Amino acid sequence: MKYFQSVLATGSLVISVSGVHAGETDMHQQLSSDIPVLGEQAAAAGIDHHYRGPWEYFVGGGAASFDCNGDRFPDLMLAGGTDPTQLFVNTSNATDSLRFERRPLAIGDAELKNVTGIYPIDIDNDGHRDVVLLRVGRNVILKGGPDCSFTSANRAFSFDGGRAWTTGFAATFEKDAPFPSLAFGNYVDRSAPGSPWGTCHDNILVRPEGREQPNYSAAEALSPGYCALSMIFTDWNRSGTPSLRITNDRHYYRDGEEQMWRVDPGKAPRLYRRADGWKRVNIWGMGIAEGDIDADGYPEYALTSMGDTKLQTLDTEAEEGRPVYRDIAFERNATAHRPYTGSDLKPSTGWHSEFADFNNDGLLDLFIAKGNVEKMPDFADFDPDNLLLGQHDGTFIEAGHLSGIDLDRRGRGAAVADFDLDGNLDLVVVNREAPVSVFHNRGGRTDWGTRPLGNWLQIELQQDGANRNAVGATILVKSGNETRLRKIQTGGGHASGHSGFIHVGTGVAERAQIRVQWPDGEWSPAYRVFANNFVIIRRGEATAKYWYR
Amino acid sequence: MLFRALTAVGLSFTLATAAPANAQQAAHPEPWSEAAVGSHVDQEMLQGVLTKSQLQTLIEQGKALFVAKFTTADGVGRPMATQAIIPTKRKRPLQQSFQRLPGTDSNACSSCHNDPIAGGAGDFVTNVFVSEGFTNADFDTSDPQFSNERNTNHLMGAGLVELLAREMTADLHAQRTDALRAARETGAPVTVQLVTKGIDFGKIIAEPDGIVDLAAIDGIDTDLVIRPFSQKGVIGSLRQFTVNALNHHHGIQATERFGKRWTGEADFDEDGVADELTPGDVSALVAWQATRKPPVEIEPANEEWRQLSKRGFAVFADIGCADCHRPSLPLNGLRFSDPGPFDAAGTLRPGESRQDAVYDLALTEWAKLLPRDENDAILVPLFGDLKRHKIADQQVSALGNELLGQRFVDRDVFMTSELWGIASTGPYGHRGDLTTLDEIIRVHGGDARQSRDRYVAIDEEDRIALIAFLKTLVIEQ
Repeated sequence: MKYFQSVLATGSLVISVSGVHAGETDMHQQLSSDIPVLGEQAAAAGIDHHYRGPWEYFVGGGAASFDCNGDRFPDLMLAGGTDPTQLFVNTSNATDSLRFERRPLAIGDAELKNVTGIYPIDIDNDGHRDVVLLRVGRNVILKGGPDCSFTSANRAFSFDGGRAWTTGFAATFEKDAPFPSLAFGNYVDRSAPGSPWGTCHDNILVRPEGREQPNYSAAEALSPGYCALSMIFTDWNRSGTPSLRITNDRHYYRDGEEQMWRVDPGKAPRLYRRADGWKRVNIWGMGIAEGDIDADGYPEYALTSMGDTKLQTLDTEAEEGRPVYRDIAFERNATAHRPYTGSDLKPSTGWHSEFADFNNDGLLDLFIAKGNVEKMPDFADFDPDNLLLGQHDGTFIEAGHLSGIDLDRRGRGAAVADFDLDGNLDLVVVNREAPVSVFHNRGGRTDWGTRPLGNWLQIELQQDGANRNAVGATILVKSGNETRLRKIQTGGGHASGHSGFIHVGTGVAERAQIRVQWPDGEWSPAYRVFANNFVIIRRGEATAKYWYR
Repeated sequence: MLFRALTAVGLSFTLATAAPANAQQAAHPEPWSEAAVGSHVDQEMLQGVLTKSQLQTLIEQGKALFVAKFTTADGVGRPMATQAIIPTKRKRPLQQSFQRLPGTDSNACSSCHNDPIAGGAGDFVTNVFVSEGFTNADFDTSDPQFSNERNTNHLMGAGLVELLAREMTADLHAQRTDALRAARETGAPVTVQLVTKGIDFGKIIAEPDGIVDLAAIDGIDTDLVIRPFSQKGVIGSLRQFTVNALNHHHGIQATERFGKRWTGEADFDEDGVADELTPGDVSALVAWQATRKPPVEIEPANEEWRQLSKRGFAVFADIGCADCHRPSLPLNGLRFSDPGPFDAAGTLRPGESRQDAVYDLALTEWAKLLPRDENDAILVPLFGDLKRHKIADQQVSALGNELLGQRFVDRDVFMTSELWGIASTGPYGHRGDLTTLDEIIRVHGGDARQSRDRYVAIDEEDRIALIAFLKTLVIEQ
């Protein structure tokens, strides 16, 4: 019944939004939660970067946010397409604006150019995050060192990198493995006869060999490939063994669909099939966001596309243990199918998507980067990014224009992180053939300026040995009867990854108990923490520590 | 250490004041209205340092609310919400609105806080039953596995208590910041003993990478915020206390936590009344509580009592009572900003209004009477340390009689009770089940065990002297 009411509310919202003058006031009135004011300040922040290039760079445009110098402030590495990849070191302090300094990379342009996407992960467990550059051509692993130094590590890690046009990436530490398994999503095989139509490359899974040094010489093909644009290892069934979910672009595949591979340690990956309950879904899959909206342990997925965004949830009516998903985007008002402001009524084109709590009200919001592929006439030309604010009834309400992110730019990848570590999530969007947008979250919108948002926690997990940053861990944050769930993951979005503090808005809860399920399945004790703190949880220690900037 | 009644969370208070509730509040547009709350206070009107006249008006509005017997027209009761401090829905509506155990349990703040005057404490009949209100929110038993039974605390001098806590918290945060700066500069861990106003809160270790090891802190929360209110010492401000208690005891929900912004609903408790109390209303209640005249130490007219009292004060110090029940703590300023600096979302915070308000307690008549030290700091005679201690042990365990911890604080750990006003606020003990000062002193265990043992061991005459001294700590009527 609640959802039925929501749908009615949604209907009226769509009507009001689709008018020529989509009522800002109307939407504002419907929104009871804080609208985060996201002020664009790339120039002031010292970031001058574009993502450029011909057809191969219509897709991609990744951003990686991670700490490369040990100060815990997220730094930024941005894909440039035919321009070089750039590194921006975060020098923000307690001032009112974000600050970055460009740091030259001691890597040749041959490796820094033609990059579509970037994901950070500590591959060799040395405490420095490495980065994986997805490229049009040979992929590159950069080994991270002290003070944001990077060296090319393909040879050291026996990583071939291939020659494909790579647009998706995900990584997981399989059971007892000393190093992560790396999955690469490939797009169109441009050399195949008949290209580009129906000529999707196979995807690749590279599992580590050797225990002393990463050795990625053995690649397995994940065939068939259907022109992947995003992939993520996801523990969709709470089995403890994540599967590899892939979203694919129907623009180029034939007889393809969305995919999910069962990846059991020591076994060859196996596609979920109809017999398993997997349903055919055909979309222009661009990005995957995973978020557990109701914290039941079974994640929801936002799949961006051209037109409707899909919001999938595990179908509780289906037989237990079967990957049967139901699309709830319409009933939750999350379709984001066309621009919510302006006069362009053509369908949207969605790219990076990410669940996060931008206003710290304790509810997951959904960010979607939007932008025409290039000049596709049947799709919206002015196509602003979405900020769908989560509501208490489970629905979402658009607030992109109210927050200030509705720029006339073609968004692609993005990074959602608290760049100045003030507790509020900021946003960086990589735009095609336009400057990167850097949005500083200044707090909740009011008549007189901004006001503080809700309470928050930011959590860092540490463990010894392999997988120091606990990729694959689950974090439960419980306040009263409310539980909020986050996963530490490497993958998803569109060509963009994050590694660092996990942000959790806690609304009006001033305290919380945190429990961690470490990647090997072991549960931690409950850690009692106060909100508005950066919490460091080291495996095996009885109490959490706080970190201060 | 003398542990006396502390109440819980209860802001409740009985109508001990002579005036009918409706008589003092802002005029209701319809004099025959059955609503106890007249016109709401507009928070936007409270900006900057209030003048004496503005403050007095606000105090009067706060008093009217404090003694108001809320009615269903105001939104009393919470049929679909529990007493929890985080807005929490019930699974099914309550069959009975008023219920002494889980609440709602009183009509007015003054229903309980009335002894010897409005804003005072309460006797055993005013006990409240403190439950987190998340699981087993409804209970029809006083079995301690469901709730902690707590006696009502007095609020006299509460503004000074909060100001002390704020200054101490700021001190501790500055010490933490300094330690982190030193650790970062030297590249080596820095251990700092956390001491403020002479009270030791243990130590922290600041690491060069910005991480702080909190394992050795003592009597304070990990965020180093002193929460001076409630017997447990878990409530940080009068404002937070007010918002909590309004919901718990009356089912009156303040918009700053239960309103649409945080719950998506204007009528979260589904009682048919939306936006029950505005931030301005809460400010009025805070202003009234913050300006309550602190208790005093009287000079007895009776010569024998005077002499005994003098001797008793020496005994108080000699046997170690004053180690925790510090006779006074120095306070540097009397400006009470509202909202305060250390509240979290859900209680109004600085920056959530166009401009924050300041209540200058120096404008009160009683402020002029407060003693000052050589540095011109006000000596707040609270007989407390604003620190939590373990108060029970194997042999002396009576005060370890609760089964439920509260907000991360173990069941046998409580905030040192401030003794000012103790002669006016019996019974004693956090359950209010000890009728004499001698009884409550004898059940001090744990960290207070040595002092208690000395008390038991000293001459009867010294014990009488000590009691005689405590009997001089009164709330003036």
